[in-house]
Amino acid sequence: MSDTPADLPEGASRRLEELEQGLFTSDLSVNEFLLIKEVGFHPLGFVMGSSIYHTGIQTRRWSQSQELTKLTGAMYEARELAMTRMEEEASELGADGVVGVRLDVNYYEWGKDAAEFIAVGTAVKAENGVSHRNKLGKPFTSDLSGQDFWTLMQTGYLPLGLVMGTCVYHIAHRGLGQTLGSAGQNVELPNFTQALYEARELAMTRMQDESNRLGASGIVGVRLEEKSHQWGSHTIEFLSLGTAVVRTSDQVTLPTPTTIISLDN
Amino acid sequence: MVGTPVDLPEAAGRRFTDGAFTSALTVPDFAACLQMGLEPVGFVQGFCVMQWGWQGFAGPSTAGMGGMGYRSGPGDAGQGYSESWQCPHGFVSMEHRSWGQNFEQAWVEQAWATGFTAAYGRLIEEATALGAHGVIGLVDTSGPLGDLGVVEFRVQGTAVRVLDGPAPHEGRPWSTYLAGQRLAKLIEAGYAPVSIAAAAASVRVWASCVTGYLTEGTATAFAYQQVGAEIEQTAKAHMAVRRIARERVRAQLGGDSLHGASMTTSERELGEGDAELLCVLRGNRVRRFKAFDPMPAPRPTVRLL
Repeated sequence: MSDTPADLPEGASRRLEELEQGLFTSDLSVNEFLLIKEVGFHPLGFVMGSSIYHTGIQTRRWSQSQELTKLTGAMYEARELAMTRMEEEASELGADGVVGVRLDVNYYEWGKDAAEFIAVGTAVKAENGVSHRNKLGKPFTSDLSGQDFWTLMQTGYLPLGLVMGTCVYHIAHRGLGQTLGSAGQNVELPNFTQALYEARELAMTRMQDESNRLGASGIVGVRLEEKSHQWGSHTIEFLSLGTAVVRTSDQVTLPTPTTIISLDN
Repeated sequence: MVGTPVDLPEAAGRRFTDGAFTSALTVPDFAACLQMGLEPVGFVQGFCVMQWGWQGFAGPSTAGMGGMGYRSGPGDAGQGYSESWQCPHGFVSMEHRSWGQNFEQAWVEQAWATGFTAAYGRLIEEATALGAHGVIGLVDTSGPLGDLGVVEFRVQGTAVRVLDGPAPHEGRPWSTYLAGQRLAKLIEAGYAPVSIAAAAASVRVWASCVTGYLTEGTATAFAYQQVGAEIEQTAKAHMAVRRIARERVRAQLGGDSLHGASMTTSERELGEGDAELLCVLRGNRVRRFKAFDPMPAPRPTVRLL
């Protein structure tokens, strides 16, 4: 096996070497494990990547709704670093992909404005030796569970990568005049509607750009998350996440569903 | 690709002209969708930020003004549900409430309808731009935006096309909260989704002295009732708010059926017995398109957990 990339800590390389000798670790449940084996994959090891990032601050205009491009860039790059390191660990194991990826942000008391971005998942490899790496030569990543992975394979689609797009947006404060002007009325505030719409669309477009780079035919399981992190209520990060998939066959091999009565409680 | 409506933000137009589809469906729902012959074409969404005017005049700080003061809200022409309770005690003190009232807050209902309809309309507009036949797996939420005193309505779903289907009926996509196997079962049972149906009802409880005492759980001497008795005014408000929501939704059905309805009622306490109730009823408007074929007998199974 190749040398550990210089990017990974020494501890990781020892752990990965042990995994290369045949032992595997995984956070898959027993059902997930069986289903992944059923579609011809074998778990290689639990992989992770992390990045501690100082996100800094950006001045915001009190009365203006705008994207905070510096913060958007920081949130993007930090996640990208964590994901890349996880992919490196998976590559080191000779994996074809990583399933069950979780992407989290943690804040600690010791670092003001610093956050740890962490990506974890289980690296898997096809048992028949056929490479399932994506167009960029990297193992595919996906936040699909073992069950979802199995189901997706039956529909003739393969995962290509966990794709994401983010946009950090500052929502304007309302001036006293504006507030008084519409007090007691129930009216739409088109400026706010438009600003939030734009922010979400930016996040989604960026996610779609990532999937296009992978040559995907679509993205499944899109989620749109909104978090204020530690910036106060007027600054919101819109994060969209999904698994880019590619159609490899027109054959849907799912059995026709049958009605069942469960004998469990 | 159909041209993008001018109302949508520029970014939405860019997103829709891309090649790949996006879908908010989970993988099992996605698989069920393909099996039914539905093809996801895009994640669609609609939003509306509303100024929520009632916060200005229904707050507890104005509680001393008396019941009638609340009836002058915008959009409330005095129609709708209203019921009053007289004090049985005679003169007690200046602070003693001599009467109580339940009344429907039409302006709250209208604001909810405006926000929801605008957000839903925008979602349908996006789906129409994609040339979709329908929108499945709808999720609608609403909530305050930061500390601005405004409420945002959000509706999201996945636009789908029927494989080898005719052009969308009158260009307007159908919609449903259902997705995946639940939708498949509905269609198997002979029903087609038409649209979602949703309405909100709002009732304000201006507590009478008796209601106030009973809610507080003290001073039963004034309440003329045993502890543990029904609080008539509050109970009636709860019944009324649900009845109004049901009537509103029924009015939207136009002879179709409502399937998978869910009703949520929230209560905002404004004082002893004083409250504001909001009831939201949502469900799927469905229409029978073929006779019901009995499904095959279910197979008993045991799950190995």
